[in-house]
Amino acid sequence: MNRRNGRAALTTDTAMRWASGWFQSRNRTIYTLLIIGALLYPSLMDIVTGGEGNHWIGTAAFAGVFVLLAIGLNTVVGFAGLLDLGYAAFFAIGAYTYGMFASGQLLASPLHHEFHIPFWVMLLVGVFVAACFGIILGAPTLRLRGDYLAIVTLGFGEIVPRLVQYLGAGSPIGNWTGGVNGIAAIDPPKLPIILTGPWFGLGTPFGVVKNFDFFNPLAYPLDFYWLMAILIVVCIVLATNLQNSRIGRAWMAVREDEVAAAASGVNTVAIKLTAFAIGASFAGFAGAFYGAQLSLVSSDNFEFIVSVTILIMVVLGGMGNIPGVIVGALLIYTTQYVVLTNLPDWTTSLATAVGLTGLNQAHGDWVGLHDEVQRLNYLIFGVILVAVMVLRPQGLFPSRVREQELEKGTEEQAVFDLRAEET
Amino acid sequence: MFLAAIFLILAVVLTPKAATNFPFFLQIVIYGIADGAIFALIALGYTMVYGIIELINFAHGDIFTLGAFMSMPLISAFGLSEGQSSGVVVWLLLLVITVIVMVINGGVNVLIERVAYRPLRHAPRLAPLITAVGVSFILEGIMYVWRGASNVHYPDLLPDTRIPLIGSASLGVKDIIVIVTAIVLVVLLTIFIGGTRLGKAMRATAQDREAAQLMGIDINRTISATFFIGAVLAGAGGVIFGLYFNSVRFDLGFEAGLFAFTAAVFGGIGNLQGAALGGLFIGLVQAFATANFLPGGAAVSDIWVFMILIIVLVFRPTGLLGMQVPEK
Amino acid sequence: MKWPKLLAGLAVASLALAACGGSSTGSAVKGTIKIGVDFPESGAETSNGVPALNGVRFAVTKTGSVDGFTLEVKNLDDAVAGVHDPAKGAQNMAAFVDDSKVLGVIGPFNSSVAKAEIPVTNRASMVQISPANTNPCLTKTVYIPAALTGTSDVSCADGAGYTPSGLRPTGTNNYFRVATTDDFQGPAIADYALNTLKLTKVAVASDAEAYGKGIADAFTARFKNKGGTVVFRQDFPNASHISDFKSFLRTAAGKGAQAVYAGGTNSNNLCVMRNQMSGIFPATAQFLGGDGLVNGDCLKDAANEAANIFASIATVDASGNPAAKSTIDGFKAAYPNASDFGAYTMPAYDATKILIQAIHLAIQANGGNSPSRAQVLAQMTKVDYTGVLGHTTFDANGDTTAKVISIYQSKATSDAGSTAPLTTQGSYGWYYVSKVDYSGGL
Repeated sequence: MNRRNGRAALTTDTAMRWASGWFQSRNRTIYTLLIIGALLYPSLMDIVTGGEGNHWIGTAAFAGVFVLLAIGLNTVVGFAGLLDLGYAAFFAIGAYTYGMFASGQLLASPLHHEFHIPFWVMLLVGVFVAACFGIILGAPTLRLRGDYLAIVTLGFGEIVPRLVQYLGAGSPIGNWTGGVNGIAAIDPPKLPIILTGPWFGLGTPFGVVKNFDFFNPLAYPLDFYWLMAILIVVCIVLATNLQNSRIGRAWMAVREDEVAAAASGVNTVAIKLTAFAIGASFAGFAGAFYGAQLSLVSSDNFEFIVSVTILIMVVLGGMGNIPGVIVGALLIYTTQYVVLTNLPDWTTSLATAVGLTGLNQAHGDWVGLHDEVQRLNYLIFGVILVAVMVLRPQGLFPSRVREQELEKGTEEQAVFDLRAEET
Repeated sequence: MFLAAIFLILAVVLTPKAATNFPFFLQIVIYGIADGAIFALIALGYTMVYGIIELINFAHGDIFTLGAFMSMPLISAFGLSEGQSSGVVVWLLLLVITVIVMVINGGVNVLIERVAYRPLRHAPRLAPLITAVGVSFILEGIMYVWRGASNVHYPDLLPDTRIPLIGSASLGVKDIIVIVTAIVLVVLLTIFIGGTRLGKAMRATAQDREAAQLMGIDINRTISATFFIGAVLAGAGGVIFGLYFNSVRFDLGFEAGLFAFTAAVFGGIGNLQGAALGGLFIGLVQAFATANFLPGGAAVSDIWVFMILIIVLVFRPTGLLGMQVPEK
Repeated sequence: MKWPKLLAGLAVASLALAACGGSSTGSAVKGTIKIGVDFPESGAETSNGVPALNGVRFAVTKTGSVDGFTLEVKNLDDAVAGVHDPAKGAQNMAAFVDDSKVLGVIGPFNSSVAKAEIPVTNRASMVQISPANTNPCLTKTVYIPAALTGTSDVSCADGAGYTPSGLRPTGTNNYFRVATTDDFQGPAIADYALNTLKLTKVAVASDAEAYGKGIADAFTARFKNKGGTVVFRQDFPNASHISDFKSFLRTAAGKGAQAVYAGGTNSNNLCVMRNQMSGIFPATAQFLGGDGLVNGDCLKDAANEAANIFASIATVDASGNPAAKSTIDGFKAAYPNASDFGAYTMPAYDATKILIQAIHLAIQANGGNSPSRAQVLAQMTKVDYTGVLGHTTFDANGDTTAKVISIYQSKATSDAGSTAPLTTQGSYGWYYVSKVDYSGGL
C-alpha cells in the first residue's frame, strides 16, 4: 500500500480509511494474511484433496511447532543478539519432560512408577524446566564474548541428545529416557468436555463430547491444529509485549552496544539471562506439544541440524521481526518437510503421467527417478539457502530498526563489516 | 593453573588404568594420537578461517569429506587397487594423488569463498553463517548424488604391518603414516605462516584488517589464500582418513567438522599450535572413552569432549593456548 | 514455440490418464483399498527395505483386487539420510491413519521404529504386520527368558524399558509379525558359535537400539550360560555417525576375543566394523550377528573382509520349502536383479497375503462393503494361511507360532560352488547354512 492509495481512501468511507491505515503497516498485512490463511487452510485442504486433507492439516500442526521455536529463538538471537547454536536442546528438554511424565516410561526407571500428568500441567512444567536449564547454562557462560557463547550453546546442543541416548536401557543410573529408541505412546492432551461442530471438519455435527482425547477420530487432527493456532497466538502476544517492554528495550540496548548499555545502568548479565531463559521456555512449550502430537520423542529429532534449521528460519524471515520470523519458519518448513520430502514422489508421478516410465526404473548408474530426485534434496536446499542469503542477507522481512542500521552500516564502513555488529 | 588442574584430573583417572596393563594403555594412546592427528588437520583450517574473518565455516568439515571422495576415482585412475603389494611405486602414486586432491580441494574452497562468503562481508553477521551451512548442504548434496547415502568403501592400500613395542602393544604402519603426515603438514604450515610474506599478510589481516589494508596488503588475496591452505590441509586429512578407516560417507564431515571445530576452540581459536593440540586431545579423549578408561564407555565419548569444551570456555574462554584478546 | 506443444502433450497425457481412471472405476470395481507399507528404502537401508517392499508389491500385484476392491500399495520410506528413523516412522503412520483408504500396514523393518509406530496404529485400530521385527518386547513381557540366563527371567520393563501393554493405549493388540523373536535368534548364533565354530571368547557390540541391544543381550546370556566368555561389551548409541570402530576392536583383540558379535543393523555401520577388523584380528576371525546384517549393503561395507560373517534370519528359509518354489520363481521373473531379493522378501510376501486375507474376510463380514480398520483387525484371529513360510498362526500376543531360525554365511561367490545364494553383492554373497527349530523350547 503506497501513499497514493492512502489518499484515495480518504475520499471514501471511514472503514476503507481504517483498512488502508491498517495495511500501511507491513507487519499488520502479514498478520492479517496469516490469520485468514490459518482459518481457511483446513477447508481448503479438504477441498483440494477431495476430503483427504487430514494429512496436510496434521502437517500444518507440526509446522506450527517450528513457528513456536522460531519465535522463541528470535527472542534470543533477534531481540537480545545472542547467537544460540544449541536451541534444539531446549526443545528436547521440553519434549522429554512431557514424554517422561505422560507415558509409561518411568516405570522402567529406578522410580518404578508410571506418571500420567495432564498435558496442560506439563505444558507449564515443560516451560519452567526448559527455562531453568536456560538459566543453568546461561549463568556461567553469558559473560563470554559473542562467538564463544555460540560455541558453548553448540556444545550444550550436542550434549543433550547424547545424554538422552545414553540414559536408556542399561545405563548405570537407570532407564530414564528410553535411549536411542525414544519414548513412545505418549499421552495426548485431554479435556473433560468439548464442543464439537463444523470447526472439526465441515460435516461434524454440533454436540458435546465428554472425556475428550485429542486422538478422537471425530476431531483429529483438527483439534491439534486449533490448539497449535491458539498456542502460536499466545506466544505472539507474549513475544510482542516483551519486545515493547522495559526488558525488550534493555535487550535492544545490549544487542546494539553492550558496553554502553552497562554504562547506562543495564545489568547486562541479568538481562541476557532473561532472554536466554525466555527463549528456552518457548522451546519447552513447543517440545511438549510436539511430543503430544507425534506421541513420540526420539533423540534424532533434536540434533544440531534442528538448531541450525530454526536459526535459518529466524535469519531468513528477518531477525527481530516476529511476523517475518513466522513467515520464515513456514517457508523453510514447507521447503524442507513438504516440498523436498515429496518431490521424489511428485516427479515420479509426473514422469508416469507424461509416459516417461522408463525414467522410474533403475538401470546401471541411474538409480531410478525417485531415488535420483531424493538424492538431490541436500543440494537443492543448500542452493536455496546460499541464493537467498546472498541476494537478501537481511532476511525477507527484517525489523525496521535493523534495516536502518544495516543501510547506515554499509555506507560508513566500506571495507569490512563483520565485526561491526559486535563492536 | 587451569591447565594443570585438567591434566591432574586426567592423570588421576588414567593412572590406575595405565598401571594395570601398560602395553594396552600405550596401544590406546597410539590409537588416540593417530585419530587426533586427523582432527588436527581439519581443525587447522577452521582456526585459520575463523582467525581471519571470524566465520565459523560449517562447510569446512565437508571440504574434508570432499577430499576423501575425490581421491577415490583418482586412485582407480592411477591403477591402484586393493590387495596390490605395496612397493615404492604405490607410495609415490599415493603421494601424487594426495597432492592433486589437496590442490583441487584448495581451488574448490577458494571458489566457495568467492561465491558464497565474499558478497556477504558487509552483511549482518549471521548471514555468512547461514550461507556456510548452505554450502555445507551443497557439498554434502554433491557427494550424496555422487555416491548415495550409504557407506562407501575406501580402498585399503596401506600395509597392515605392525612394529611390536613393549608387551602386546604395537605400532602400525598406518598409524605412523597418519601421525607423520600430520606433523609434517603442521610444521610446514607453521614455517609458512611465520616466515613467508603471505604468511605475514595473513597474520596482519587477522589482527586488524583495515590497518593491514592501509599497509598495502591485498585483503581479498590474503583471505583467498587462507581458504586455500585450510582446504589443502583438510584434503590431506580426507585422504588419510580414507586410507586409515577405509570407509567414508557423504555426511562424514558434519560430525568430524564439529569435533575439529571443538578442537580449534579448545586450543584457542586462531592459534595453529593450539588447534593441533586440541585435535590430539579430542582424539585421545575419544580413544580413552571407547576403551572404557573414562566412565560410561564409547556411548558417552562425545559428551566428554563437549563437557570439556564448555568447561574450558567458562574458565579460560580463549582456549588452552589462545592469547587474551581485549574486548572490542 | 516448444511450450505450447509440451502443454498439449501434457493435456493429452492427463486425458488418457483420466480415461484409464474412468474405465477402472467401472461397475465391477467398488473402489480402492490401500495397503500402507513402511520400510527404510533409501541409502544404506536400500538392501533391507527394498527387497521387502518388492515382496509386498509382488503379493499385491499377484492378487490384484479383493472382492471387487482394487488393491494399491502406498509405501513410505522411514529412512532419514539413509538410516531408519523412529520419528519418521511415527509420522508415516500418522499419514496412513490420515488416509481413510489405508486399511492395514505392512512394516516396519526395525524394532525401534516399530516401538514408535505401534501406539499410532493402535489408536486407529489399524492392523500392522511386520515381516522383520524381532525384538521380544514388542509383543511379550519377558526380555530374556530364564532358559537363556540360567537363573531368572529378565522382564521387558527392566531390560528393555518398555512393555507391550505400554505401547498399546487402547489395550487391544493390533500388531502381528511373521518373524520370530530375538530370544531365539540371539541363542541360535550363540549355539552355532560354541558348537560348530568352537569359539569360546567373543567381544559383543551393539548399536544400542531396541533390536541391536536386545539381540546382543540374548546372545550374551546364552553364550555365557553355555560356557563361553564375553570379554568386552560396548554399545554405540550414535553408531550411524561413527566410522571409527578401531578403538573398540583393538580393545577387544587386546582382551583375547576370537570373534566379534554385532547386534544391530548395517545402516548403523556395523559392517564397517567388520571391515576394520582387518589388521587387528587374524584374517580368519569370524564376525557374528543377527538379521540386521544379512543383506547386500553389509557385504559392500565389509568389502575385502566380507567373507565369514555368520548371521541369522528369524524365519524359515523359504527357498528350502518346495511349496514355495513357484512363488519364488514367479518373483524372480518379475524382479530379475540380484538386489531385488532379500532375506525378508518372502516373509513380506506372506505378511501381505495374510493382511489381504483379513481384509477379504472383513469385506465379507461387512456385506461386501468397504470395512472399517477395526473390522479388519477383528478378522485377524480368523486368518488361516499357508504360504511360502509354511502354515502361519499367531499366538495371543501376535507372534508367529513358528520358532525357526535360519543361519547364513557370507562367502565369496567363487568359493560357494553350486549352492544358490540368498542374495549377492559384488563378488560376495549370503549362503544358507543351517536352521535351528526352537519349537520344543530353548
